[in-house]
Amino acid sequence: MSVAVAKAKSDQSGVYEREDLLNGCQAVAQGVCLADVDVIAAYPIRPYTEVMDALSKLIADGKFDAEYIIADSEHSQFEIVKHASSVNARAFGGSSGTGWMYGMEALVVTATDRLPPLFVVGNRALDDPGAFGVEHNDAMAVRDMGWLLCWVTTPQEALEHVLIGYRIAEDKKVRMPMGLAMDGAFLTHSQHMVKIPSPEAAKRFLPQYDLAERRLHPDNPISVAPQVNEDWVMELRRQNWEAAKRARGVIKEAYKEFNEVFGNRYSAPYYFDEFMTDDAEAVLIGVGTVAAPARTAARRLREKGQKVGYVNLRWFRPFPTVELRECLSRFKAVGVVDRDFAHGSPDNCGILMHEVRSCLYPAKNRPAIVNFMGGLGGRDLSIADAQKMYDITQQAAKKDSMDEFVTWIGLRE
Amino acid sequence: MSSTAPQIDYEKIKGVHKIPLEELYTSGHRTCQGCESATTMRGFIKVAGSRTVVTGATGCMYVANTSYLTTPWIVPWMHTQLGAGGSSAVGMAAGLRALKRKGKIKDEKINVINFSGDLGAGDMGIGGISAALQSDYDLLIIMYDNESAANTDIQATGLTTFGAQTTFTPPGTKHPIMQRRWKKNVAGMLAVGHPTCRYVATACATFPPTDYLNKVQKALAIGGPTFIHTYDPCPKGWDYHPRFSNELGELGIKCGIYPLYEIVDGNIIYTWDARKTGKGRIPVKEFLTKQGRFDHLQEEHFTHIQKMVDTMWDEWEMPGVAPIKGILKARV
Amino acid sequence: MIKRVEVNYRGIFQKNLGKKIGSDIVMIASRMGQRAFSNGRYSDSPERNGIPCKYFAFVSPDLSEEELEAECGAKLEIDEANISVVLDDTMCKGVEPWGWHGVRPINERVVKDGCLLVVSKKEHNDLLKFIGKKPYNYRLAILDGDASLAGLWVNKDDLTHEHILGGIAAIDPTLISIEAVESYLMDKTKQKHRAEAARAAYESLRQEAKPPRVKTVTPNDGIVWTHEIPVLPKWFEMQEGAVVPAVKRGFEMGPKGQSRNAMFKRGTTKTQRPAVRFDLCTKCTLCWVECPDECFDPTTDGFYDIEYQYCVGCGKCAEVCPVKECIVMVDELQFEDDHSPWEHWKKDSQEYITWVEEKKGKARVSYPFVTGKGITVTQGEVMPEGKIVPVRKTEEVEA
Repeated sequence: MSVAVAKAKSDQSGVYEREDLLNGCQAVAQGVCLADVDVIAAYPIRPYTEVMDALSKLIADGKFDAEYIIADSEHSQFEIVKHASSVNARAFGGSSGTGWMYGMEALVVTATDRLPPLFVVGNRALDDPGAFGVEHNDAMAVRDMGWLLCWVTTPQEALEHVLIGYRIAEDKKVRMPMGLAMDGAFLTHSQHMVKIPSPEAAKRFLPQYDLAERRLHPDNPISVAPQVNEDWVMELRRQNWEAAKRARGVIKEAYKEFNEVFGNRYSAPYYFDEFMTDDAEAVLIGVGTVAAPARTAARRLREKGQKVGYVNLRWFRPFPTVELRECLSRFKAVGVVDRDFAHGSPDNCGILMHEVRSCLYPAKNRPAIVNFMGGLGGRDLSIADAQKMYDITQQAAKKDSMDEFVTWIGLRE
Repeated sequence: MSSTAPQIDYEKIKGVHKIPLEELYTSGHRTCQGCESATTMRGFIKVAGSRTVVTGATGCMYVANTSYLTTPWIVPWMHTQLGAGGSSAVGMAAGLRALKRKGKIKDEKINVINFSGDLGAGDMGIGGISAALQSDYDLLIIMYDNESAANTDIQATGLTTFGAQTTFTPPGTKHPIMQRRWKKNVAGMLAVGHPTCRYVATACATFPPTDYLNKVQKALAIGGPTFIHTYDPCPKGWDYHPRFSNELGELGIKCGIYPLYEIVDGNIIYTWDARKTGKGRIPVKEFLTKQGRFDHLQEEHFTHIQKMVDTMWDEWEMPGVAPIKGILKARV
Repeated sequence: MIKRVEVNYRGIFQKNLGKKIGSDIVMIASRMGQRAFSNGRYSDSPERNGIPCKYFAFVSPDLSEEELEAECGAKLEIDEANISVVLDDTMCKGVEPWGWHGVRPINERVVKDGCLLVVSKKEHNDLLKFIGKKPYNYRLAILDGDASLAGLWVNKDDLTHEHILGGIAAIDPTLISIEAVESYLMDKTKQKHRAEAARAAYESLRQEAKPPRVKTVTPNDGIVWTHEIPVLPKWFEMQEGAVVPAVKRGFEMGPKGQSRNAMFKRGTTKTQRPAVRFDLCTKCTLCWVECPDECFDPTTDGFYDIEYQYCVGCGKCAEVCPVKECIVMVDELQFEDDHSPWEHWKKDSQEYITWVEEKKGKARVSYPFVTGKGITVTQGEVMPEGKIVPVRKTEEVEA
């Protein structure tokens, strides 16, 4: 993986103070600690729970200073986070699956109130029946609500994106809630060696949270979100629309600043990573941990002379429309890997497929596009599965038209 | 068995002439004529003062208190979701405490108050309020109880009086009354269920005069999470002329249908003692017949309500507070 | 062709009445073979007691249902009305249903040669003292009657509904004819007195009726409307995050000493206002304590002035006032302006007492507990200066 291989120049100069074996959840907890978060609200639901387990222990041991609240439901948890954020406290929450959906009302208003707390989503399939494995429908449910939403693929990235996430979310030009998504089990519970930044370096990168003229405090008397009638909603929606647009620029700024402090960890255009795409004809695009088998398969197929590559989409909201269009229109065929579903939607595709296809519509050179529904409910997506997806995508490049856009991967049939 | 209530160090308002003159919730809100909840809102912020942050849960007093780009609030105020009264208070209190501890803001007392209705606090948000009352944050939750979802033009809630007409409980030819649930006992439930919560009270904005204001003072002074349930006659939903808001509250208390008490560190103090040994009670009918929402009631319904109220005062071990009638010997 | 009827009514008090009128116009017009539908102004909900609201009915002899819907139903407010019904004459002072709306003249939507139909006991000139000028002629019709205030559950069946239908039939028989009104009421209720009530109202508004109750209002009639209509800010002029600046803190003793919400005064909610005899005041504070609209201003000499622009006329102050004739609720149309009564009294107490007693008149209109059960009118008396007669024992004022 490119990010893991690159040795940061300043690595030697102490920006990373130590290395530890951490799973995705524990890595996020380290990030929260380094971000000097003020308020944390917890409520258990697998697989994200371990983030809170780790944080509570850090607090218990005096290694971290924050208000720690065990909420009575996700709705309360998210509301606690939202209101803490409103008084200018940096706040953190998280959830998974139906828990995330249970608190949906609070998630919606956090965005419309334009508050910038960070939530981790340990992706989990939605009930019924109760399932613990990864699926992306939970996090993606906030995709149209005015949220920042990004997926990470390793514990290292998870830790770093807590810092990057707050940096972007709290920016005066943005002030939107940040959803940091990571695949249940494959990332939340997979332990890797993680380099942990020093508090000084974290502080140098991440400024103090300042809601300024919008903070709720007796010194700043304001009323937040009085009832509106039809005279006002269009204007407020437009403001949020503009903020989401501005966020694209702020994301770039944030990664550049991160690279300045921590060495060249991330490369442009930051919203996504390309792997072996230089002369590729057919590529897959996906979010989350499918990157590992997809990149490995690409490497192996390359050895056989097949021109394939992988695009790992990191930022889903705001969607990197221009950059991704430019990137994908270079190829003959694109296979979109959805670890989610959108039953009854156009061509019965997944959510990511709709986004990518819509993004490509105005492109001059439109590649053939196919969709894969795979890894639902936590089923694994193997290297062999990835090879199959590359095969189908390459075949699509040769076809004039498509009858069926979607292939289910790993289904017993 | 009696005990003496612990002293709370607070500034008692001794009579209506001593009520602070300045308004911090001021004229220009979209409430009904004669809105008692507006009086409740106005009252708590008067005594809490300007170093206060307030959240208002969705409900008629959210939608009523402003329409967008105007506000009647002088202190900081924020909307919170219908069931989020408790959690909004916890979130603000936690945030302020962390910021003070870390030296990010001045270390001073800032009151945190949430104002939620009976639908929000008594039904949907009761879990969040329960959690808030288990916490160690300094916060006050006021449940203004106008016995309906008044914002959606009067639907029954868990706190609507037995027999009342609402759009969800219209009288009909087959069922003369549709509201057959007995009013949920929220203050009692919260007091009994949260042993570390030091102060729970019931109140009415204007009767007896200053009683409510002093309860707010006590709740804010005693520390930790506190809860006040206020009984707010609603001219719109109860269907009486707005000029009688004060009298309806008074009658509701005097007939015993709404017990007035405070529980301080586990000690019950009746601030209007409707027991027979105290001030006694006027017949509930005198209260009910002054409201259009009970216009369809028949004699048997009045009798039933009277019986329930009498039981509450005459048979409960803790009259008006908890429906425990005694301890029976276990049969082996 | 579309005929638009708007019914201006007092929120909650006349909610059922307003809707019933709108609905019946549709039923009757439909029986006459026309297309029609009705709706309420959506933004009025949730309604508040007293706040000015609107209900609409649209009728067309020639348009299709869908065209009529597109022209009228897809909008939340109408641009013009052929008939504006006013169910409570105090709304002639203007209507302000919510913030940033401004106080609008009651005849704002009335078209040229259209009609403003007001239920009132007043004469045309009494109402035109408050109504804004229009650049063209229109008609002002007065249907004799009191504002029929009731509650959500107990309605007042005082035939106002039938009167309005009959009145509309007199003003525009093509919209609904009196025969169609009568036959509809008979079919629906089988009660002859309802049809007769409609007919009587119809007769009272006919050209031949004496005295004439429908008069032409010319551009010379009415007052210059001084209330501005606020210009709503653009999206980039508003603070982000749905944030609104609080009212600036400010308090000092005396008239208008308390800072208030400047963008929403809502004084147009009131049908009555409290008139005070300061010389009878015992300074008990209860009017100020009980006011749910914070419109009493404490004065340095211990009295309570009233900021009428913010008073909604609920009457709580008059109800809790422990002194006979000290605070009395008076018909809002008795007052041309909102000047400070305390300043008036301080300037010339004798003149003030004479003035306020004249405004009060003798009749005391009072409501029973259940609003819809009918008003009573009792005779008040003029108390000699300083004669304090207690009327209500106030419980435990001093704790």
